[in-house]
Amino acid sequence: MSSWRSLILRIGEKSPEYGGVIDFKDHIDACFGAVRRELDHSEDEILTFLLQCSEQLPHKIPLYGTLIGLLNLENEEFVKKILESTHKSLQDALDSGDCNKIRVSMRFLTVLMCSKVIQPSSLVVIFETLLSSAATIVDDEKGNPSWQARADFYITCILSCLPWGGYELVEQIPEEIERVMVGIEAYLSIKRHVSDVGLFVFEDINKMNKLNVEQDFVEDLWSRIQDLSKNSWKLESVPRPHLLYEAQLVAGKSHDFGSIICQEQSNTPVELSRINFGRQKHEAELKYPQRIRRLNIFPATKIEGLQPIDRFVVEEYLLDVLFYLNGCRKECASCMVGLPVPFRYEYLMAETIFSQLLLLPQPPFKPICYTLVIIDLCKSLPGAFPAVVAGAVRALFDRLSELDMECRTRLILWFSHHLSNFQFIWPWDEWAYILELPKWAPQRVFVQEVLDREVRLSYWDKVKQSIESTPALEELLPPKGGPDFRYSLDDGDKTEYTLSKELNSMVKGRKTARDVIIWLEETMIPINGLDVTLRVVVQTLLDIGSKSFTHLVTVLERYGQVIAKICPNEEMQIMLISKVASFWKNSAQSTAITVDRMMGYRLISNLAIVKWVFTPSNIDFFHTTDRLWEILRNALNKTYNRISDLRKEISHLKKSVVKAEQLAAMAKAELEGAESKLMLVDGEPVVGENPARMKRLRSTAERQKRLRCLLVSL
Amino acid sequence: MHFSSFSDKDPNKISAYRDRRFPGTQEEYEHALQTSTTVYIGNMSFYTTEEQLYELFSRAGEIKKIVMGLDKNTKTPCGFCFVMYYSREDTEDAVKYISGTILDDRPIRVDFDWGFQDGRQWGRGRSGGQQVRDEYRTDYDPDILLSLNQGGYGKLVQKELEEQRQVVDYGVGSLGSFQQPHMAQNYGRHGGGGGHGYGGSNRHGRGDYHRKRYRDDDRRGSDIPKRNSENEPRRNSDHDSRQEKNPRFREHGDSDDEEDDRKRQK
Repeated sequence: MSSWRSLILRIGEKSPEYGGVIDFKDHIDACFGAVRRELDHSEDEILTFLLQCSEQLPHKIPLYGTLIGLLNLENEEFVKKILESTHKSLQDALDSGDCNKIRVSMRFLTVLMCSKVIQPSSLVVIFETLLSSAATIVDDEKGNPSWQARADFYITCILSCLPWGGYELVEQIPEEIERVMVGIEAYLSIKRHVSDVGLFVFEDINKMNKLNVEQDFVEDLWSRIQDLSKNSWKLESVPRPHLLYEAQLVAGKSHDFGSIICQEQSNTPVELSRINFGRQKHEAELKYPQRIRRLNIFPATKIEGLQPIDRFVVEEYLLDVLFYLNGCRKECASCMVGLPVPFRYEYLMAETIFSQLLLLPQPPFKPICYTLVIIDLCKSLPGAFPAVVAGAVRALFDRLSELDMECRTRLILWFSHHLSNFQFIWPWDEWAYILELPKWAPQRVFVQEVLDREVRLSYWDKVKQSIESTPALEELLPPKGGPDFRYSLDDGDKTEYTLSKELNSMVKGRKTARDVIIWLEETMIPINGLDVTLRVVVQTLLDIGSKSFTHLVTVLERYGQVIAKICPNEEMQIMLISKVASFWKNSAQSTAITVDRMMGYRLISNLAIVKWVFTPSNIDFFHTTDRLWEILRNALNKTYNRISDLRKEISHLKKSVVKAEQLAAMAKAELEGAESKLMLVDGEPVVGENPARMKRLRSTAERQKRLRCLLVSL
Repeated sequence: MHFSSFSDKDPNKISAYRDRRFPGTQEEYEHALQTSTTVYIGNMSFYTTEEQLYELFSRAGEIKKIVMGLDKNTKTPCGFCFVMYYSREDTEDAVKYISGTILDDRPIRVDFDWGFQDGRQWGRGRSGGQQVRDEYRTDYDPDILLSLNQGGYGKLVQKELEEQRQVVDYGVGSLGSFQQPHMAQNYGRHGGGGGHGYGGSNRHGRGDYHRKRYRDDDRRGSDIPKRNSENEPRRNSDHDSRQEKNPRFREHGDSDDEEDDRKRQK
């Protein structure tokens, strides 16, 4: 017999706990039976677990709502505790701006309303609070319109509840809910239309004029809800198990939920400079981001017959699973394929995942997360999903020239990684036509870069083998050769060859960097000049470091100072980078890694890298390869990571300073307290405290003071 | 955001695996795992290069260092390695998103490691490499290991794999004759891999290993099983023959380290 815990966890699933069959009534009955039995001795545990599941498996909220409705018939106190806990949770979430929690809590409340656990008017009070807050925010005089993102979010929260409870609300309190709808309509008329062109995945130049006409996310959701209401609030994607128990549930006590508070957005003077407005708007959008920017990859026929609101609901399900079950691979995949909807949704699933992968500026998780989800789904649905993914790739490939550059890069990285998990199998012959296109054509560059990444993940011969059905594409493979070492053979400049050999043996002989620098300063540079020196040193050291990543790191650790010595300024560093690029011209990966490590060892600055990327001689490569942009991205990421690390350190030190100040103050107070005892007896210096203690207190105070000074000076 | 009832890789769970070499209590071991920025990677192909690892593992974050696991006798890669990140978050992402996926045609496992120390790069199996042979590890899916609620079958497999883990468990082995040379400490604050103020030397696997595949093929001619369309895809039983023909086995006098060559020649 399964425990109440696993019954709650697995409700609604095809699992052994429920005999492998999904029947909502059977599941609810079984779960209810187990829970009511255990309620007496495990009440707190059950409460916590039930709330945890309701939050983190939100696609099952209707089932949990019905369960709680039934529990309400027997144990009102228990349900009251659930509501108190939910109330606190929602209020905390509103205070901290925890968007997912707010949204899911409200859906939970809506479903509880359906099961008669809370009054419908209680729910409407929450709606109205959010609506009122939103309306205030966008008011030019009373609010702060730069925070519209928060207001938009509140409105979408309200609208998001309606698929779960619109029918009941209209049936039971039509006037009140109508007031809310009118309020939302008014909000839509005063808010600003959102049109962040910069975050569009597809830049459709032809459609530029239409952009302002397209609906933004809130407007779009509003029209989906309008459609739903015209359809009598009937939709397919939200289960309504409470209807199975209507007769019983109606006898339950509907609790009052209580009100919530939306903190006011700080009032700023009406006149905000453009910059400050932008800054606040940006902050608001980071805190209340848009969850999805719908990607329409497939032709409409693939998603035919689906009501717009059903699409919205499925997207919500998928995004919630991706969020709450992130990292739990098996469960994530199985929840995604087992949503409680009666229609097929593989195409929608693909569009939703790709919309996340390509989300600008950044998806909630690293792109590798979505790579993995797609792999897991291909394994879970081997008959259906791989074909859908292939279709998505084809569709995106066809429109590649419209795709934002960052999205193209993500697609390249995703696709190569994806194929490496499936033996690099792909019908390349379909794309053979790109060889006719010019070298800078986006599709041609895409294929070229995907192949380059495939080689990095495996090896050259393997990738060649994978495209053997279309041998002409070999032209796009990266060079097979290794580094371009000038001094491998004796021909060419004999002097430089000899010098290189000499440096090489110094390195093999474990001479220190100091020794080498002395040799350079006393011999190399005076005789041969700086140019030759730079060339010989860089080529030789890179060659020694060329065997592997670790070899490179070792060489840079040991002899990086030599390089730093001869490249002390930006000009020389730029030359250094071009020498690296030349040495590694056959390998974009090695170029990028070497430049990155050199920046890591502070041999080259990020500015030098940026300047090098944009030197005129590189212009020819801007559109024909990703190499330069990879180096630039690495430099930017490293800079950002360093800044983040330093910020964390500063914040940590600040806390330490505060603590040290507190300790110093305490120690000082203790000392003074002890000293004051000394004075007490009629001016006669009597030792009120024992001398040992006095000494200790004094030295503690001194120490704390010094520590504090040290920290402050850092 | 982590629903702990489902978590496959929840570090708060008691680790099924326990490296006997860890100098501390179970509690300290778990704490080390929970704060570690090092991952252990196993079930790798002997041919997998650092560059392949770099490409794959960079996708979880900025890599600080890679240390290849080497057979203590042949000093060639023997199927495991360590990758160090700068941030804990990236380390967690590597474990979450890369474990169980394919690298170089093999499903690799990625786990938190308690912390690389000099000496741990040497395989401790009796043959010099990793102890577990491929026969026991086909279609290995690390997912199975730590997730709860798998029902009867899952628990059976889990138990079985745990038993096999004891076989893998690093026994007390010798460090081998190779002495780590002391790394030049020229870089104090800004060295040590990435200028993040991570000072201190990072000793790592040294010795004869590892040139890129193409070089070896060129150098050794047809001795080496080349990977081209003529050959069969590698099979598990190839490991023995592969050891002998391993292109990374360097000839004497060819080492980076004179010391090593001198020892050999004795």
